[in-house]
Amino acid sequence: MEKTLNKNNFDSFITGLKKQGYKTIAPKKDNKLVTLDEIQDANEISLDHVITNNSIKEYFLPKTEKILSYTIEKNKVEMKEPEGFAVKSVIFGSRPCDAFSLPVMDKVFNWDCVDKFWVERREAVTIVTISCDKFDSYCFCTSVGLAPDAKQGSDVLLTKISNDEYLVETVTEKGENLVKELESVFSDPPSGTPDRQVATVEKKFDIGKIKPWLDDNFEHDVWDEFSHKCIGCGACTFVCPTCHCFDIVDECSMTKGDRVKNWDGCQFKMFTMHTSGHNPRNTQGMRWRQRIMHKFKYYVEKFDSTLCVGCGRCSRVCPADMNISEMLEIIETEAGK
Amino acid sequence: MIEELRKKAEELLKNGTVKVVFGYGEGSVPERTRPVFITKPEDVNKLTWNKYCVYNLTTYLKRQETRKLGKPALILKGCDARTIIVLLKECQIKREDVYIIGVTCDGVGDPLAEKCKACDVHTPLIYDDLVGEKIENKEIPFEERYAELDEYEKLGEKEKWEFWQKQFEKCIKCYACSNICPLCFCDRCIVEKNQPQWIDPSAHARGNLSWNVTRAYHLAGRCINCEECQRVCPVDIPLNLLNKKLAKEAEKSFDYRPGYNIDDELAMSTYKEDDDEDFFK
Repeated sequence: MEKTLNKNNFDSFITGLKKQGYKTIAPKKDNKLVTLDEIQDANEISLDHVITNNSIKEYFLPKTEKILSYTIEKNKVEMKEPEGFAVKSVIFGSRPCDAFSLPVMDKVFNWDCVDKFWVERREAVTIVTISCDKFDSYCFCTSVGLAPDAKQGSDVLLTKISNDEYLVETVTEKGENLVKELESVFSDPPSGTPDRQVATVEKKFDIGKIKPWLDDNFEHDVWDEFSHKCIGCGACTFVCPTCHCFDIVDECSMTKGDRVKNWDGCQFKMFTMHTSGHNPRNTQGMRWRQRIMHKFKYYVEKFDSTLCVGCGRCSRVCPADMNISEMLEIIETEAGK
Repeated sequence: MIEELRKKAEELLKNGTVKVVFGYGEGSVPERTRPVFITKPEDVNKLTWNKYCVYNLTTYLKRQETRKLGKPALILKGCDARTIIVLLKECQIKREDVYIIGVTCDGVGDPLAEKCKACDVHTPLIYDDLVGEKIENKEIPFEERYAELDEYEKLGEKEKWEFWQKQFEKCIKCYACSNICPLCFCDRCIVEKNQPQWIDPSAHARGNLSWNVTRAYHLAGRCINCEECQRVCPVDIPLNLLNKKLAKEAEKSFDYRPGYNIDDELAMSTYKEDDDEDFFK
């Protein structure tokens, strides 16, 4: 289904969502950051940014969440599973790269053990994406097979067609239902071909050359050389929309406790530390190699999908200016040798 | 200045004084530089110097990967060189194990970094070689040095609590703040210990408060105000406010500023029988 949405109608769109019982999450300016955050009013929405600082991931895989509570008494243990974690919501104004991360991660969260926390939230949340009309030098979606107006993962895609107007394309049934629910705020589709204002993101490397090189180069000097500057923090993995490693800990006293699932990341030295004291990835070079291998080799082999959507967040936040697309360009060059 | 730095680095590598030079190289965008580790004289052209050289390269003295490269020469601004004095005092390095190429600096960052606004170490206090014209280190009055705290200190207790709760709520526990800090050098941080679990690892209100406060406390009377923790925080928590407040209290209590004088006794780890313990109340 195609419609248009005028910027002036954002207000009625957000009010309409509220009336229909949706919690609304949208890009919101907060000092130096623009973050996907809950909003009450359309005035809070920020549109003047390349990409939000936080990724869409935290609405499906929060940085911390209780997965079980328990009490221990003399003769019994009682366990309680959390309820109400999946809230009917709309994420409005996320970017196509973020939206695409969701079907990529569906594969791992539905494989083997089905992660109900992920799956139920996926069902409860509708994604209304806005195509990118600008980009910065960290963006590389086109190099990993995406586009600034890619539809995969979105339920509805909005694309700017004039200063005030967006073309509205429904992608899924869920998206179509949402547009129908709020029909009055949308207008008829434009006649003729609309002028889609979409950024032109140039390709930085040929993804086809990456995996074959990785297949043969588990051992290579580049891993250490490139990662000397890495400080071993978790910023890259935590801002990444597709990094999904987590750790499970019990926060408890003698008689009660919570089992909690927390983000974890492969760049931490403790990530692979064994209780024996042996660490199979005991240098940053090995940990950096893992990040690249997981995204561009292991996940591809297992799920037929690259575990990177080219959002560039890891490179933007890196304290030491490690740049992932630069690494991939180096690999492309090495592959050509 | 860039040429002078490159020449110096080349000379030190060629004559075998050092095995590696920790310096600044071009970054992925013009507004950034990045740390580079030069091991071959022919690579010295990768070194640069400009207003984006914000990093405190002494942090790489604690990392096994960069330690493995051999004896380093470090390109250090005045603020960064203060770290060396603290590291020497805290027995983390030996003077003969590091070669310091001091650079005179009239401020980095665009806009000018907060740390540069009340700088009294334009010319490093410790170095083996100095690159750049000497700039006089003028004494800056106490109040001016802590001016960054003025607004914050006006807040009442309740407002301060609300302010930090809001800030810490954003924390994602990526530990960039501690990993970048040259003075957070413990091989195993307290947050990585779980028997007992001193600090909740979860990024919820309790876990974030205990982490951020513990980090700041461990730097009281030690932090040299390089602001690296604040610069790298991906969720923009004003961590340096905490550091600076503790530095101010340490200075008031002990008349001590870390990293200025190698002969000063450390504020937090010097035992004196006749210590004035008035502050234990």
